[in-house]
Amino acid sequence: MELSTVGLTLAAAVVCGLDRTAAGQFMLSRPIVAAPLTGWLLGSPEAGLQIGAMLELFWLGRLPVGSAIPPDDSQVAVGCTLLALVAQARTGMPLQAAAVAGLLLGMPFGKTGQFFDRQARILNAKLLRRVEKGLENGCVKSLERWHLLGLLHFTLASVATLVAVVVGGLLLLPVVLKTLEQPLTLVSNWLWLLFPLTGIGSLLGGLKVPRGWQIFCASFVLGLFVLMLR
Amino acid sequence: MKLPRLVLLQVFLRSFLLQASWNYEQMQSLGLLYAVTPAFRRYYTGLALVDAYRRHLEHFNTHPYLATAVIGALLKLEEQAQKGVDPGFGLSEFKSAMVAPCAAMGDAFFWGSLRPLAGVVTLLLAFQGFWWAPVCYLLLYNFPHLAFRALGLLRGYGGGVRVVSSLQRWRLSDWSVYCKQILLLPLGVFAALISFEATAGLGLRSAWALCAGPLIWGVVKLVRRKISPLLVIWVLCLLSLSWSQLR
Repeated sequence: MELSTVGLTLAAAVVCGLDRTAAGQFMLSRPIVAAPLTGWLLGSPEAGLQIGAMLELFWLGRLPVGSAIPPDDSQVAVGCTLLALVAQARTGMPLQAAAVAGLLLGMPFGKTGQFFDRQARILNAKLLRRVEKGLENGCVKSLERWHLLGLLHFTLASVATLVAVVVGGLLLLPVVLKTLEQPLTLVSNWLWLLFPLTGIGSLLGGLKVPRGWQIFCASFVLGLFVLMLR
Repeated sequence: MKLPRLVLLQVFLRSFLLQASWNYEQMQSLGLLYAVTPAFRRYYTGLALVDAYRRHLEHFNTHPYLATAVIGALLKLEEQAQKGVDPGFGLSEFKSAMVAPCAAMGDAFFWGSLRPLAGVVTLLLAFQGFWWAPVCYLLLYNFPHLAFRALGLLRGYGGGVRVVSSLQRWRLSDWSVYCKQILLLPLGVFAALISFEATAGLGLRSAWALCAGPLIWGVVKLVRRKISPLLVIWVLCLLSLSWSQLR
């Protein structure tokens, strides 16, 4: 893997990781943005768009409410885009199959994001202590500096999650490709369909809307009907 | 002392870093102090500034987008306190009363409704081969996001405690229900589109595409029984791979 690839992936991971909680929250961290951004930086926006589209709905229903931390789908999106490109480069398999392989391997490591994010928030409590101590001594100058240091903690958490996703995925990739390359390529069309469908199910499972299921079913059947007539 | 527009702009820009030092003890308290610093430096100097910081260094946690409404009102109340106006309640009480409703409204509207709606619309565009779909997502989501942030600060600073009426008038809780209902329409169309595309080349294509319905229903049931969607996708993929091997 080239150094520039690593650097660009890290840059995408840091930007998306900070946007997730610590800075802005412009939703650059959503998989549908983070993955195409990474893909574009690595020279294959279509790989990123495929990964982002497959992943977007998956954990969308898990809200970052209060102190709850959902799995880090931003780093999964960035890391899986890299994994998909590596899988494709190593085997020459179709992009769709490579995207499925990357996601299947990278997604479980997204759970590590919750751990690292929690550690960053625990470390941030030390910054609070320092500010309290500073104010006791009548010092206000360092307050802003200590607050901004929290960005570093969130950056480190993002990088650690990305490393877990990419290294974990790269270690498993040769084993999986050796045994499953052929079947993955054969059924990638169906596997590709399963991701958004599971995402839709996961999202619907969390939505509590009056008559929600009826609206969804009516829209689904009507949509199929229109597509059939087209 | 009325705050100049430049100071309000600084507060607005700093509010984007409200959660930079989020922690489990006081959550966004340091972020709040960081955001109000340009205004506080106008209001206070020396020990009075230290006292003001100490007063506000307490538990603070609300939705980051609606935090500007609380910040704006807080600055107005600080300003009134300087003039000797007694609002009849403590600033700390005001903050405590505001943060929970703002958090609930913001979470329901922005995280629970607008984000999925923008996501599904973007996915529809992406699956139609629209390469700029992620940019559309950012525009679709950030227009209301930035509008509420800016409006919150202006209404909060302009009206003080009257910001509560503005928040009520916005009826974000109602809008979150409407948005969720609207979201189900493109979500259904999206499910139909991907199922129809994936079954191209099969006989009785629409019948096969309809099978996506029970599959989604099954996932909904599993997710509601607290089964991880990650486990569901792994099992489904392994079943598909095994089936392909058996064939």
